[in-house]
Amino acid sequence: MKNRKRKLAVLKNGRGRLAASSAVFAVVGLGAAAAHAHGFVGDRFFPPTIATDDPFATDELLLPSVSYFKSADSPPIGTTDVGFEFDKEIFPKFALGISGDWLDQTQAGQPSANGWDDFVLSAKYQSLWQSDEHEAIISVGAEWEIGGSGSKQVGADPTSTFTPTIYFGKGFGDLPDALSYARPFALTGTLGEDLPTSAEPNNLEWGLALEYSLPYLQSQVKDIGLPAPFKDMIPLVEFSFTSPENRDGGETTGTINPGVLYESKYFQIGAEAIVPVNNASGHDVGAIVQLEIFIDDIWPKVFGHPLIGSDN
Amino acid sequence: MKTNSIQRWSLIGVFFLALQSTAWAHAFLDHAEPKVGSTVTNSPAEVKIWFTQELEPAFSSIEVQNAQGKEVDKKDVHVDAKDKSLLEVSLPQLPAGTYTVAWHVVSVDTHRTQGHFEFTVK
Repeated sequence: MKNRKRKLAVLKNGRGRLAASSAVFAVVGLGAAAAHAHGFVGDRFFPPTIATDDPFATDELLLPSVSYFKSADSPPIGTTDVGFEFDKEIFPKFALGISGDWLDQTQAGQPSANGWDDFVLSAKYQSLWQSDEHEAIISVGAEWEIGGSGSKQVGADPTSTFTPTIYFGKGFGDLPDALSYARPFALTGTLGEDLPTSAEPNNLEWGLALEYSLPYLQSQVKDIGLPAPFKDMIPLVEFSFTSPENRDGGETTGTINPGVLYESKYFQIGAEAIVPVNNASGHDVGAIVQLEIFIDDIWPKVFGHPLIGSDN
Repeated sequence: MKTNSIQRWSLIGVFFLALQSTAWAHAFLDHAEPKVGSTVTNSPAEVKIWFTQELEPAFSSIEVQNAQGKEVDKKDVHVDAKDKSLLEVSLPQLPAGTYTVAWHVVSVDTHRTQGHFEFTVK
């Protein structure tokens, strides 16, 4: 999932006045539908991750992403988020994407609110730098949260925000033999800067995903006889933060998301708990489940190669 | 409403079952002989790797190297005639030591994957 601001709900009460809502921009990683392209660097398969984006620009379909999380408000706003994302490689190593989230929000004493959050367009250029031997990659990209494209009922921002981002990935397959059981580890991360077109704060959006690939263990390090479905699982923990930089944006908020990914030939199912890191991020643990469809594997004649040019 | 929900989920289930039987995907190592990371007491006659997809023979290879990085296999890599997901290469008698198996394959839907693993002859 791309690093996304998740606005807390602004609910109109029955008398037409806005209910109390937090001015703090909420936690990233709250189930916003962001596709994470999956890709290969050397021997390493980097799976799509949920709370943070990874550095690949490939054809992908995320449908659906479903999450539930309660905000830090008092009383808290419970948000069910059902989202999607579609990415398409246009030129070699360059992809465009679109994502959207349908939000359903409830708060004690208030009527519920639902509607689309702002849609997000994204662009990513993969492999600004890459080392197959060291399973390492750096990519760049940007997002445009289209202000006014979503519903005011759910607090969709009327103004746009641009977020240029750096992505990296590093697999640890190059560790020495003495540390061979650590080779299945991989780390991906993002660092982005929110540039709002309004008086909202600038935010540093940053995140990491630490994963341990059981498929990598079985096929590259040691066949320990793991049965299905465990041999196709990748346990991981993700860290996703938003740090306001000015305009009384408040403190850093974020979540820590432990979970697991299951890899099939044509899709990935992922599930994570969403654990707020501080009171400003929330008080309760939420959850997210995503289905990532590997459309380049299912329809290789249609997907898996750029619209213009060739990957070869 | 309940019947519609059951019908909806049944259709989704049929969709994914259909995907499993008709679609293609990247070829990943499923299992190998010698096993990945294993120690064997006798020099194996060949290295066999079973993949999760059928392979394009012309673009699939295995190379076995000794600890000094020298290729030691018989360079007769081939896809099994009866099992298109099985790639194999013959070996001479190998002295005791650790060997690296490096593979590069292309699945029948043109996706490339690669990997390597070690085995040890006692």
